[in-house]
Amino acid sequence: MNNIVLGILQAVVIAAVAPFFSGLGRVITAKMHNRRGPSIFQDYRDIAKLMARPESQSEDASFALRIMPAIFFAVSFMLAMGLPIFTLESPMPVFGDAITIMYSLALARFFFALCGVDSSNAYAGVGGIRELLMSVLIEPSMLLALFATALVCGSTDIATMGQHIVTGAIDAPVAVILAGIAFCLACYMELGKLPFDQAEAEQELQEGPLAELSGPSLAIAKLAMSMKQVIVVAWFCAIFIPWGEPATMGAMAAAGALIFLVKCLVDFVLVGVISNSVSRSRFKNLGNQTWAVVGIAVLAFVFVVVGV
Amino acid sequence: MSMTLFMASLAVSCVAALASVLCIKADNTAKTLGCLGGAVAAVLSLAAGTLAVFGDVTSIDTVVLFPFAHFELLLNQLAGLFVMLISVLALAGSIYGLSYFDEYPGKKGRAGFFLNTFIASMMLVITADNVFWFLVAFELMSLTSYFLVVIEENDASIHGGWLYFVIAHVGFVLIMASFLIMSNFCLGEFSFSAFRANAFDPTVASICFLLAFFGFGAKAGIIPLHSWLPKAHPEAPSNVSALMSGGMIKIGIFGILKVSLDLLSASGTQAWWGMLVLAIGAISSVLGVAFALQEHDIKRLLAYHSVENIGIILLGVGAAICAMSLEYQGIAVLALMAALYHTFNHAMFKGELFLGAGALLYATGTRNMEKMGGLFRRMPVTAICFLIGSLAISAIPPLNGFVSEWFTYQSLFNVAQLEDKAVMAVAVLSGVALAITGALAVTCFVKAYGVSFASAPRSKAAAEAKEVPAPMVIAQVLLAAACVVLGVCAPWIAPVIADIAISVLHPHGGVFASEGLALTNQYSGAATSTPAIAIALVVIVVAVIAFRKAMQVAPAQKSAPWACGYAPNEDMPVVATTFASDVAWFMQPLYDLRDNCTKVCWSIARIFQKLVGIAETVEPVPDKVLVDAPHKGVEWLAQVSTKLEGGNYSIYICYIVVALVVFLALAVFMG
Repeated sequence: MNNIVLGILQAVVIAAVAPFFSGLGRVITAKMHNRRGPSIFQDYRDIAKLMARPESQSEDASFALRIMPAIFFAVSFMLAMGLPIFTLESPMPVFGDAITIMYSLALARFFFALCGVDSSNAYAGVGGIRELLMSVLIEPSMLLALFATALVCGSTDIATMGQHIVTGAIDAPVAVILAGIAFCLACYMELGKLPFDQAEAEQELQEGPLAELSGPSLAIAKLAMSMKQVIVVAWFCAIFIPWGEPATMGAMAAAGALIFLVKCLVDFVLVGVISNSVSRSRFKNLGNQTWAVVGIAVLAFVFVVVGV
Repeated sequence: MSMTLFMASLAVSCVAALASVLCIKADNTAKTLGCLGGAVAAVLSLAAGTLAVFGDVTSIDTVVLFPFAHFELLLNQLAGLFVMLISVLALAGSIYGLSYFDEYPGKKGRAGFFLNTFIASMMLVITADNVFWFLVAFELMSLTSYFLVVIEENDASIHGGWLYFVIAHVGFVLIMASFLIMSNFCLGEFSFSAFRANAFDPTVASICFLLAFFGFGAKAGIIPLHSWLPKAHPEAPSNVSALMSGGMIKIGIFGILKVSLDLLSASGTQAWWGMLVLAIGAISSVLGVAFALQEHDIKRLLAYHSVENIGIILLGVGAAICAMSLEYQGIAVLALMAALYHTFNHAMFKGELFLGAGALLYATGTRNMEKMGGLFRRMPVTAICFLIGSLAISAIPPLNGFVSEWFTYQSLFNVAQLEDKAVMAVAVLSGVALAITGALAVTCFVKAYGVSFASAPRSKAAAEAKEVPAPMVIAQVLLAAACVVLGVCAPWIAPVIADIAISVLHPHGGVFASEGLALTNQYSGAATSTPAIAIALVVIVVAVIAFRKAMQVAPAQKSAPWACGYAPNEDMPVVATTFASDVAWFMQPLYDLRDNCTKVCWSIARIFQKLVGIAETVEPVPDKVLVDAPHKGVEWLAQVSTKLEGGNYSIYICYIVVALVVFLALAVFMG
């Protein structure tokens, strides 16, 4: 019971800080463009403003467009309850399995893309298709990196993997480091930042499948999307940078939360700097870049086989 | 008890088939009798299968017609699972047929006859425990389904049917060869129980395995023997497509399991068999879904997805064989459980999707998704059922496809942890193939659902479509509900299927069985995630929607979709081709490969054409010998007999006396 409460608390904290980190990205972008830019809390204001607005909806759309923000938010919230974010233990281990996480994200993606098609807006539909194809190119290397790490740690449970790595009880450290690099790159692509921001690759595809959302629906979808970014970062941290988090649930989790927020801050600043230092790659060249990640993941697996 | 119910179901199927034929002139009566009989038979066999799964294992062994081959039926737990699976599909298909066969005026009696015989023959294949009867039932299954494929009698169906006919028989020959080799090494015994008891030489066992794997693989539609699936399945009536894609190709899986893990169990499995099965499974799953993405004919798309799912099932089977050969029984049980679970799941969601595709065809008159669109508002129940099927086949939690794919991942992961490095590499790469497949399947079903049901209608037929009649709706809801139940109730269903896997791998129970259960329970711990996921998702989604409703200041205002300032028109939204062209950009080599393979197929077709030409010239020769000679003989006999039979009574009496004497003499000498 305690764990359920802690899980919900953890998810609520993630939901509360998510707009801060997306706002941080906007601030960094503005500073690097030599603009004054918005306040770091601008995303909170945007969400509050949208919540108070009436909605406008495409006349061809059906329930898929209506339900998408709720499902996207539900998936993000559920994963935030299950990941070992503030401690090395997962509050709700049923949601904390690597494969379950991958396929839960697929649920969000299914409706995200379907919403684009459903809105009958040509640009939103194309954005949805690009989002799906991105995942086709990312998921193989993501899974291979996860499998390589899981083989070294003996479980596909995220918390167990993190605990093995934090204690150093692993046979093939080089393999884990390589797998970490591959997973890090895959997560970066999953964040949808430059140079891989394909859903917004054209001026018309701005915001991809969100184009036809408005009012509270758009606010919920925006919140869910920024939560998903924090969760992807948390996913990476839970497996490959678990140091500093307390071992068990309890009052220490509060300290763990602070440590996590510091990790997130560092990661998002890095992400912000990188995404503003590169140009956008062409959608059709994406396949060439993902091959590199597949290569690193395969290398990690080879090291697992060799046992180094 | 289970066998009595099973025989009753077969009898009802036969009666229903006969009734359809007898009433063939009264089209609608024939249809009603055939479909209702089919539904009753399905309920009976479902009960029989359920009893068998829960341990009521029964068999019969009698002599029917052929003393050399006893009529042996064995309804064990494994057979029970497959009987259940086909019964559920048959039940849904029969109810569905009540309305759907109206699309085939003048052929309803025929459809009713072949539907019932097709189902009965599948049931016989599953339970037959004797080579002879197995092969007879297998052939019967191929023939009855062939007639259902060509029922429309147009060019496409005849071409598809012919391809199916040829590949089914190539497979049949391989299977027969495998069984006859085994029989030969069992002193000519035709009973499967003799094969089970016999330990074959490893080389012989490998040959038998390879023959059976490719023979049954042709039925299952593994790549490279898949080409008939997308041609034949779409041509059959949609409820028959559901039975073929959901049920019949599973007989191929059943055969592979039966040969590798049951009949050859005493000889021991070999790791390379498992690696071969894994490799073929991985290739089938990735290519199957990649080809499906290019289709805009919804039934062809679904048929290609069957290739994909057969591949996923084979990943479980291959992992089980690997684990058995390395003597890790617990992992083998887990892997076989994953394979069996996915087999059942695929039957449910693929059945649902084919029935949904049939409903689309019924309502719009086309299978081309480009001409649909906006059907959610016209056919909401079909749309929701199709969406559930789409989510299930894309392995989205908390539905059933996710559960079995999760178990497949876990078994691949566990097999990869064993000491054999080659097995490890193959298992991990299969896992990667499964990940690619999963991502592509999501893309493909966003396309299938989105292009057909979402957005705006793209043709007059789609704009005026109506929801399908009640029987078709009921059948779809039945299978969609099965998808949800099999997913959300996984923690209670998985142990039952694990029990079946144990009965296959360790028929005598004992230490292994208990160890297997302990191991599976340890792994299946996280499978309890589906109820939790379902609860979490439903609660949060409802809460968010309620919150949004509370925030709403005014009802949503309808507007035309934004088209960057242009007036939006129906040509703008994405269609099936939009998906296909983007995917083709990244996967062109795969499609080139397929096109090249189809070229090879054409050269084979030319060989067949030549064969036909030769046959036409050769055909009259035996006719002269076989038909003309007896004909002349009969004429000669007639001439002779007119001499014997001159109308003279005394000669007739003479014949009788001679006959009497001959019989008496015979009696005396024999006595």
